[in-house]
Amino acid sequence: MDLTVEELAKTIDHTVLKPEATKNKIKQLCEEAMDYNFAAVCINPCHVEYAASLLADSSVKVCCVIGFPLGATLTEVKATETREVVKRGAHEVDMVINVGAIRDKNYDFVQKDIEAVVAASGDAHVKVILETGLLIDEQKVKACEICKDAGADFVKTSTGFGPMGATPHDVRLMRETVGKSMGVKAAGGIRSFKDALRVLEAGANRIGTSAGVAIVEDFRWAKYSDTWTQPDKPCWTCPSRMASLAKQPKEVYLWYKRHCITCPHRDDNIFTD
Amino acid sequence: MSENNKHHYSDAVILHVSLDNHAVTREQLDPVMYREYLGGRGLGTKLLYDRLSVGVDALSPSNLLIFAVGPSTATLVPTSGRTEVITKSPATGTIFDSNVGGFLAPQIRRAGYAATVIEGRSPQPVYIWIDNDSVEIRDASGVWGKDVDATTDTLLKETNDRAQVACIGPAGENLVLLSSIMTDKHRAAGRGGVGAVMGSKNLKALVVRGTKEVAVHDRDHLKTLVEHARRLIKKNAVTNKSLPVYGTAVLVNVINELGMLPTHNFQEGTFNDADGVSGEKLLERFVERTYNCYGCPIGCGRITKVGSREIGGPEYETVWSLGPQCGINDLEWITLANDRCNLLGMDTISVGSTIGCAMELVQRGKLDAALRFGETEGLLEIIEDMAYSRGLGAELAEGSKRLSERYDSPELSMQVKGLEIPAYDPRGVQGHALGYATSNRGGCHLRSYLIAPEVLGSPVLLDRDRTEGKAELVKLFQDVSAAMDSMVVCRFTNFAWTVDDYADMLAACTGFELSGKELLTIGERIYNLERMFNVTEGFSSADDTLPPRFRNPLPEGGSRNRVVHLDEMLTKYYSIRGWDEHGGPTEKTLKRLNIPMKRGK
Repeated sequence: MDLTVEELAKTIDHTVLKPEATKNKIKQLCEEAMDYNFAAVCINPCHVEYAASLLADSSVKVCCVIGFPLGATLTEVKATETREVVKRGAHEVDMVINVGAIRDKNYDFVQKDIEAVVAASGDAHVKVILETGLLIDEQKVKACEICKDAGADFVKTSTGFGPMGATPHDVRLMRETVGKSMGVKAAGGIRSFKDALRVLEAGANRIGTSAGVAIVEDFRWAKYSDTWTQPDKPCWTCPSRMASLAKQPKEVYLWYKRHCITCPHRDDNIFTD
Repeated sequence: MSENNKHHYSDAVILHVSLDNHAVTREQLDPVMYREYLGGRGLGTKLLYDRLSVGVDALSPSNLLIFAVGPSTATLVPTSGRTEVITKSPATGTIFDSNVGGFLAPQIRRAGYAATVIEGRSPQPVYIWIDNDSVEIRDASGVWGKDVDATTDTLLKETNDRAQVACIGPAGENLVLLSSIMTDKHRAAGRGGVGAVMGSKNLKALVVRGTKEVAVHDRDHLKTLVEHARRLIKKNAVTNKSLPVYGTAVLVNVINELGMLPTHNFQEGTFNDADGVSGEKLLERFVERTYNCYGCPIGCGRITKVGSREIGGPEYETVWSLGPQCGINDLEWITLANDRCNLLGMDTISVGSTIGCAMELVQRGKLDAALRFGETEGLLEIIEDMAYSRGLGAELAEGSKRLSERYDSPELSMQVKGLEIPAYDPRGVQGHALGYATSNRGGCHLRSYLIAPEVLGSPVLLDRDRTEGKAELVKLFQDVSAAMDSMVVCRFTNFAWTVDDYADMLAACTGFELSGKELLTIGERIYNLERMFNVTEGFSSADDTLPPRFRNPLPEGGSRNRVVHLDEMLTKYYSIRGWDEHGGPTEKTLKRLNIPMKRGK
């Protein structure tokens, strides 16, 4: 992929969502975001006002998560949370979809849940986190279609707190579903520039990661050898490989694992590393 | 703003000390030489290439022993407290450099020296006392025969307690091929028998005190770059978490999990009791505090305590060599054996690896001795005997290559070019395996530490089983490592910094205009000059190989069924390097890098 270090940085939402994040950590996050000219900082609601004050004179946006990380709170709470963080300076909100409702095929509820946040967001962009690791492909496609109909600006793969995280497969599927008119944000488990390049190639135009600095800095190595960007074994990036019975519903887990049986790369699937 | 327009480091001089006639001379550093080779390893290699005749016996008075620092030494650049020791190795016969931490390097640089070159042989034991411009060769008969701790304490009392001591223990005095030079008591310039070279000169120690200012080209800019560099170290999981919390021994469980922790002299790659000798267990049982070398924000060093005795280390390689390599799961014994090696001035990697080799010789009925895998009884005495070169210890003191040849079993020595391979079974890491085979100083993990990308995912995780592209990466890592060793900075910075960071800081220190690519060319020049040294000593592609054991698959564990595919990578490596099929640089390559064909006086 032909990309400069600066272009890569501009795709990154520099993220700190851990509960133990201190004010000092948020300050560091914002300073780094300005130094590297990242797209946004992605933070919890309690930090929005402070981050907005630090980033007031910069092009870095404040992105805040909503209904995070489970997405299972009341629609009214999501809407109120959105309204409050936008009032405090958030330019973007990343809401978590109601995953259980998608799995129940309660699509009207899901759409209204998103529409409520879109309505409360004013000029702020709305990204909807699908938590793809809890869904099968058919459900991901349906979720993307609902997001589009509900007026969201982006679909986003994962919270980073759920199973699997972002995979090129999911990003590709989401991009194919939403087309070019919406954004696709890949988030969850993106730790290296190779992870980042993979999801960008698959169709993402935004990346959520807490490893933004390392990704950009390490990307400077790429100009010294093509080996860094060699394709990996197919299993390494396959969602089926990352499936976990401990973290996923049984039927979702088995849905992923059944793909291994019919996979064209089945013969390569011998060792686990 | 620039302090002035001149290129800094050019004010440093090369100090020559002849122990034959106790003559001390000074030589101005040639600007072309340091522009092309920087300092440290590069400078030492260039001096050795130009001034050591071909075929000189490494333990003869003619061999040169060089202590070199670099243009970043004693500046703001983090981890710039490392010293390079360069010589011809008595263990391998190759050119050899050994990189040591601690606090010696800043003293050398502040005394005004880029390098100290020692030649000849004193008729009596001596030590060299450098106090800024004053250089004395003093009688060392009072400390000859003493261990490293006693020697260090005595010489600091005799000179200045704020000085730094680099000394040998009994092993170096007895010309043991596994001997080290020790600084700050427990930091080792190990491997290759550099201690024996010092011992062969009847030189017990180098003691240095330097108090001069070290100027840099652009202090303000350097400060900005260093702030950035320190931030990167703090952002990196290896340099900010794993190494400061557990030390290098954090690798025990990681490498064992992948089935690459050499066990029973590389007969297996999984040690059942790895957890008992892990970095985590070391932290729980023995770690007293961390140890930071000069200017280091990482702090990978450990000070452990067993009983009332405070001990420096053990490092990962030591835990492995004195532990799983010998089938030993007693972490307390490993810590004590490490201490014993430090006091005697012996390289723990080669000591443990050679004992493991001897244990396999016994296992296979080739050697009759009381050495059994997993048994520690009598082993501390064997280690002591190695240092004093007596009894069976005298045979082990020559290293595993000579030991195994003595018992007609050369295949049981896990070495390259006579240097024991460290703690990563190459069958589990193809790129790292190529690095072992093509290392100019023999079986070394630090010439090209491909464990970083192949295991630790730094900067990205690469498929450890693949051979494609590994030749390019081995060259890249060898070149950047040669450059780092010539600045001189610690290898662990490589987890957090890129080539560009090194080049930027070096430019701010020296005033050179230098890009990352140009810095790599300097590293490439150094690597090729080392190779030419070895070529002139008779080394060839036949020496770029691995023990035959690595053509047989590991029986079990995370690297089971794997072998090293060296041939697939070696031809490509030579081609990328611009070397011929004999493993030497072509004329075209030498010309491109401005390396003279002719070597020596």
